[in-house]
Amino acid sequence: MKRRTFLQLSGMTAAGALLAGCQSGNEKLIPYLVPPDEGVTPGRATYYASSCGSCPAGCGILVRVSEGRAKKIEGNPDHPVNRGRLCARGQAILQELYHPDRVQQPLKRSGPRRSGEFQKITWAEGLSLLTAKLKELQQGQASDGLALLTPQLSGSLAGLASGFMRSFDSPHLISHEFLAPDLLRQAERQSFGQPGLPFYDLAETRYLLSFGADFVESHHSPVQYGNAFGRMRQGRDTVRGHFTYVGGRMSLTAASADRWMPARPGSEGALALGMARLILAETLYDKGALAANGLRPEELLVRLKPYDLPQVAVLTGLPQESIAEVAREFANTRPSLAMAGGSVAYQTNGLESVRAVHLLNTLSGNLNRPGGVYPAASANGPENSFTELRALVNSMGAGRIKLALIKGDPVHSVPPASGFQQALDKVPFIVSFSQLIDDTALQADLILPDHAVLESWGDVLPQAGSRQAVYGLMQPVVTPLHDTRQFGDVLLAAASQMGGAMAAALPWKSCLELVKGTASQLGHKKEEDFEALWVELLRQGGLFETKTVQGKGYRWSSVAALPDPARPKFAGDRKQFPLHLQVYSSTAFSDGRGAPLPWLQQLPDPMSTVVWDSWIEINPKTAADLGISHGDLVEVTSPQGALRLAAVVYPGIRPDLVAIPLGQGHKGGGRYARERGVNPLTLLALVEGDEQQPAWNATMVRVTRVSQKGNLVTAEHPQGSYRSDLVGI
Amino acid sequence: MSWLIAGLFCMVAALIAGMVLMYILPLDFSERSPVQPLIFSHKLHAGANGIPCLYCHHHADKSPVAGIPALADCRACHLYISPEAPEIKKLMGYWDRQEPIAWARVNNLPDHAYFPHMMHIRAKIDCSICHGQVAAMERISRTASLKMGWCLDCHRQHKASIDCWTCHI
Repeated sequence: MKRRTFLQLSGMTAAGALLAGCQSGNEKLIPYLVPPDEGVTPGRATYYASSCGSCPAGCGILVRVSEGRAKKIEGNPDHPVNRGRLCARGQAILQELYHPDRVQQPLKRSGPRRSGEFQKITWAEGLSLLTAKLKELQQGQASDGLALLTPQLSGSLAGLASGFMRSFDSPHLISHEFLAPDLLRQAERQSFGQPGLPFYDLAETRYLLSFGADFVESHHSPVQYGNAFGRMRQGRDTVRGHFTYVGGRMSLTAASADRWMPARPGSEGALALGMARLILAETLYDKGALAANGLRPEELLVRLKPYDLPQVAVLTGLPQESIAEVAREFANTRPSLAMAGGSVAYQTNGLESVRAVHLLNTLSGNLNRPGGVYPAASANGPENSFTELRALVNSMGAGRIKLALIKGDPVHSVPPASGFQQALDKVPFIVSFSQLIDDTALQADLILPDHAVLESWGDVLPQAGSRQAVYGLMQPVVTPLHDTRQFGDVLLAAASQMGGAMAAALPWKSCLELVKGTASQLGHKKEEDFEALWVELLRQGGLFETKTVQGKGYRWSSVAALPDPARPKFAGDRKQFPLHLQVYSSTAFSDGRGAPLPWLQQLPDPMSTVVWDSWIEINPKTAADLGISHGDLVEVTSPQGALRLAAVVYPGIRPDLVAIPLGQGHKGGGRYARERGVNPLTLLALVEGDEQQPAWNATMVRVTRVSQKGNLVTAEHPQGSYRSDLVGI
Repeated sequence: MSWLIAGLFCMVAALIAGMVLMYILPLDFSERSPVQPLIFSHKLHAGANGIPCLYCHHHADKSPVAGIPALADCRACHLYISPEAPEIKKLMGYWDRQEPIAWARVNNLPDHAYFPHMMHIRAKIDCSICHGQVAAMERISRTASLKMGWCLDCHRQHKASIDCWTCHI
């Protein structure tokens, strides 16, 4: 190259760079093509009061909407359940609305099942496909060939689903959720003779004893109880409530406790009865309460003889002194409160263990008392939906179910040991109402996509979050983004197309009309009052000051036997599978429904700080014995299956216990959930407990190291933050 | 040799002068006065025809943002007013394609500063105090620095709050 050409070229490059640098970096202002009709003022927000639909707690929300788009969600300060607070899952339902992989219109399967090949169809086509199948069943006198699977619905929608199935004359309506408190409801009925769930007056108690109830992150109403826990600790000038946690794994709740008692899995009921026996023996019980509940201390003491302190210490693996100390503290502090939760309930002796905790509350006079336990309003629900699901699995397996309508994602959230997934394959026509092509929708023949919560009408009766009956309203805050329809509206449209008895039983035109019908019964005086009441409901997001309290308090049922937890049974030979497996509700995903949302995917787990993936928590001693170090890839084998995932060496867990969070391992569910982590439900063996309740924490596993490449992503190194003498066993 | 040094010196000086000029002058490629997709004259609309600011920017008195008229609003007048002008034809072209006009933003504040138009209009602050003599501009150019000191000067002068939380919320 000549010198001259070189200089010319370099000059041109420099000039080019200079010109490029001078290009305007200004933002673009893009106005509307046509201004919106209704008073949308750009830059000005409108706030709508509605209800959160991401878990049964049913918190009240305020949604900020500007330019017709939902932008931010906060808790509704007037709502008695969450009092203006909101958890991460509630904040994240915005992303359910804007998810890039939402099913935007009805789809019909065009390839083989699970191939993910679908063909776009119109709603008219979709609905006529559905009604054709329904009519086929009706004409063939085989109306029990229809099954409807939903999560545990509340309010009008629950009534609509059962009305639909009743008028079609099919018994197969199943409301099942993996984490639903069915067993706790059954235990309430057996101990106190009334159905429902308890409401714990956490804020006013002075001594809290939780048997595996992780009320800060999951349990019945995490925002309500998290807030109440704060008031129990810091809300009173003179008292700071004391908190003892019983359970083998240190959850976020356990980490907030003053004392952690890592009892052997399945021995929690024996521990509760051991404490009860000590309270009786040392006459620390509430004499009035015992008499009022028709219990005689001498008789109780004789019956509880097997639970003397040395025996209980052997069963639980805890020192005698600390058991006695906690029992005395619990009995001597008034008001005190004992709670029972999931990890206790999911053992083979779960029902009796939970009832043992009821007995502890009864002895200490904590029933129907401030700082104690009351029956919660609106907490009715199925008491053993899993047996119903198993009956359905049998029917499906025998080929008796011809049409399955599925709301939710049971293919992911029901343990395969139940046989559900295999049996579902035998159903010739499956309709899914999923918003994303999740694991269930992948298997469906027809997808009729539901609205997002923020586009839907509905009402919510919050689960066990208050003593008063609370009516939460769910209203659309934006016009639907896509060509989707609300699940309830689809049922109503199908019923009206079916005509006859179905149309007569479900006369409503839409969910809005249905919800209005329910709201009109909310104790207003005259017909003309209703419009005013309705406007008020829309404005406030529900009716909160109902003053209707469950009239009948708790009383130990005269026919109730004393709780007597059997020795827990476990699936898997001890020699081959030496470790207990606990699966627990993930803070971010609950049972997996949060996994499609990227905000929740990038939320670090509060205890292990892991992001984006699945992991197994192993005690450092066990890990050292097995040659596993933090972040290694390990294989977990149970009698039911095997999984590979990263190991988190975690001092806050018993050496004979390992734990895996729920929620990951989806095959579908959009780009953020798909093929991420593993689903621990595939490891669980089906073990039946008391009253045929499933015992999902009764599986034994073996852990072996595979390699050092676990690809664990953590926000910080747990070994660093937990290097403390306070934690660790 | 000395003429070479002098020449170099002159060249550097000319370069610097050019850069300074480029920064000060509202040239095409400056972010102070970017070229807009459509040659819209505020001088004609607000100056010669005397259309009030709020006629088009009608959210300014009730919203944090002043708002830019929708394409339908422009079209409503220009269906009748000089529909044959080349720029109006361009405008109608946008409408036919149903494509919004992506105007280049001239006055911009960083995200950590909250500036509500309506409060300033309510306090009877004239638009020109911040936006300059728009009625005399063919193409909009930024006249104020929009730096925090400039905000504070005016707030002090009008005895408005200078608490941090007033703007940084």
